[in-house]
Amino acid sequence: MAAGTISPFYPARRLRNKIWMSLSVVAAAIGLIGLFMIIVVLFWQGFSGLSPAVFTQMTPPPGSSGGLLNAIVGSLILTVVGVLVGAPLGLLAGTYLAEYGRHTRLASVVRFINDILLSAPSIVIGLFIYEVVVVPMGHFSAIAGCLALAVLVVPVVLRTTEDMLNLVPNTLREAGAALGMPRSLVIRRISYRAAKAGLVTGVLLAVARISGETAPLLFTALNNQFWSTSLTQPISSLPVVIFQFALSPYKEWQQLAWTGALIITLAVLALSIFARALAARGAHQ
Amino acid sequence: MNTAVNFNQSAANSKVLVRGLDFYYGATRALKDVSLSLYDGEVTAFIGPSGCGKSTLLRVLNRMYDLYPGQRAEGEVLLDGENILAPDLDLNLLRSRVGMVFQKPTPFPMTIYENIAFGVRLYEKLSKSEMDQRVESALRRAALWTEVKDKLKASGLSLSGGQQQRLCIARTVAIKPEVILLDEPASALDPISTAKIEELIDELSGDYTIAIVTHNMQQAARVSRYTAFMYLGEMVEFDETDRIFTSPRDKRAQDYVTGRFG
Amino acid sequence: MADQHTVRAYDKDLDLLERRIAEMGGLAEKMVIDAVDALSSGDTVLAHQVVETDPRLDLLQREIEEQAILTIARRQPVAIDLREIIGAIRVAGDLERVGDLAKNIAKRSLKIGVETRAPRAIVGIKHMNDFATELLKDVLDAFAQRDVERARDVWERDAELDALEDSVFRDLLTHMMEDPRNITFCAHLLFCSKNIERIGDHATNIAETVFYLVTGSNLPTDRPHGRQETDIETDTRGEFR
Repeated sequence: MAAGTISPFYPARRLRNKIWMSLSVVAAAIGLIGLFMIIVVLFWQGFSGLSPAVFTQMTPPPGSSGGLLNAIVGSLILTVVGVLVGAPLGLLAGTYLAEYGRHTRLASVVRFINDILLSAPSIVIGLFIYEVVVVPMGHFSAIAGCLALAVLVVPVVLRTTEDMLNLVPNTLREAGAALGMPRSLVIRRISYRAAKAGLVTGVLLAVARISGETAPLLFTALNNQFWSTSLTQPISSLPVVIFQFALSPYKEWQQLAWTGALIITLAVLALSIFARALAARGAHQ
Repeated sequence: MNTAVNFNQSAANSKVLVRGLDFYYGATRALKDVSLSLYDGEVTAFIGPSGCGKSTLLRVLNRMYDLYPGQRAEGEVLLDGENILAPDLDLNLLRSRVGMVFQKPTPFPMTIYENIAFGVRLYEKLSKSEMDQRVESALRRAALWTEVKDKLKASGLSLSGGQQQRLCIARTVAIKPEVILLDEPASALDPISTAKIEELIDELSGDYTIAIVTHNMQQAARVSRYTAFMYLGEMVEFDETDRIFTSPRDKRAQDYVTGRFG
Repeated sequence: MADQHTVRAYDKDLDLLERRIAEMGGLAEKMVIDAVDALSSGDTVLAHQVVETDPRLDLLQREIEEQAILTIARRQPVAIDLREIIGAIRVAGDLERVGDLAKNIAKRSLKIGVETRAPRAIVGIKHMNDFATELLKDVLDAFAQRDVERARDVWERDAELDALEDSVFRDLLTHMMEDPRNITFCAHLLFCSKNIERIGDHATNIAETVFYLVTGSNLPTDRPHGRQETDIETDTRGEFR
């Protein structure tokens, strides 16, 4: 084939290329537009309700105005305690899978069950905690909600921990072992440090996941109109409040629901961006 | 028994004496009845075509294979007369006496100072100034001090490939081992860094007993005093390097060093 | 595991050296034979031919050295390849000296001219030269065949050449003492016999090179000598140079 001449197949190839590229761009655009529209609607509806009152007043009784303070605080408590309980479990279990028991039978079984849990309907988990915690206690409580959320956190953290630790090259571990380092020290000081960014990302993703969960909370933490930070009492949370207020016929409640939805969305968005930025910094090193 | 294995120094000078070593990956026999000596303060090179078992042999010397199930060694490997294949041996202590540097530079994700201090802290409790001294002398030994003395707090990963490898050598030397194992230490480096590493090996020999695996024969000829040629898991010829590269006794060794292999 | 290098050009480099050495060897042999023929028959044309051939030999030696150096730079030879290249350099040097010695004999034959004063002496020289030529031929064959036994044989036979040189020496002394007019002539012949003896020594050098090339070790430093005690001053090893 002489240089400079064009093969007879070239125009057809170019057309095919154009078609596929256009399809990809359209698909991406659809996704982006969808996301964009959600955010626009949320802002549209919820922004007008954003005021200092939202962050300083409690949820009001029907017909009066108020804020979302107890719901916000409640969500924070549920999320934080849920992560505090679930993340260490997921971390250590992921460590076992990646470091100690990589090829053992137990590891395969755990991995399998974890994958199932990862996509288990959260309402099922809520019901499970109901049976196991709420019924013996005799009443709904924040701690039950925390446990339900913890059960949701564990699979996410376990999975990312295992994946991130698997990415640490084996030669790094061998280098540690070659210095005479005991296994646990190699894991703590080398593997963890090397996978640090990834591990933190995993936890942040879990947080983002549970901060919007509603179903499990319905059977465990329920709701609380008033200010409560006690772990043994039912506690308010943004998702549940949104659920309750959005279905109601009261204008003020509906407005608060939109605002609450906006707050949750913004919080999750911020967390995801932060997690992404952290991962990028980790990879850059 | 190998007829081309020449123990021309007495076994009393052997820092490490390998006798009748067999090694198995699962059911596959990777090393067959290997015997050789690492003489005190000398550099010994392991050469041979890929798959001959030279890296496997090196990794037996600090029981690195213990990290992986299904790999086992039989026979005797005597370090100062003590068999290190014994099942009840303190592996961490062994590895403090027999250090290893790998093919790909593996600095820990810590500062340069910490990379070195970390290993030292496993075995000794030193005051800050003593640790500073230890870090400095290790870096000097590895010919890295002048290049990094102003950035000890920088991450170990911020160094160039050649510097990272010298950092790994400094890290190994800092815990004062007796034997240093080098697994193709320069194969990932450019020629200038390689030359620096070779110079380093020269300086370290005498104080340390060194074994180096290399697929670069000229490197083996340059840095080592003794060479072991291996083929298909067997020790084919073990002799002084000068001998192997001027008139080797085994035809396979001759074919390999002159480039008639395959 | 072949006998050829994986990189074929390496074999070509070594073959080139081999061929050049063979060429040099052939030339040197011819020069040695022709030089003494010219001496004994007074053939000045032949003598000139021998003198004119020498530059070619020098050129060949330089080419061989250059080729050897290039091969070393390119290939970093070790073991047998290294010994072969060193061997080629040594043999080329020896052959070049052999050429020079033959040339000197030819030059002397020109100086002697057509005088044939002592035919018996010439016979002795011719006999020596036949022997030396055979040594040279045998050792060059040994080199080409890498035949250690043959090389060792040449190395040992040189002793006979040394013995021959002794007897020619005594012969020439007798001639000189018989008739003073023979002195110039016989003096020239003395130098020629010395040159032939040195051709033999170079043949043993080549034999030592063959031995080293094949085995990697050296022949003993003291080879058998055919010299007898004379009343000429000698150095401590019984040789005079």
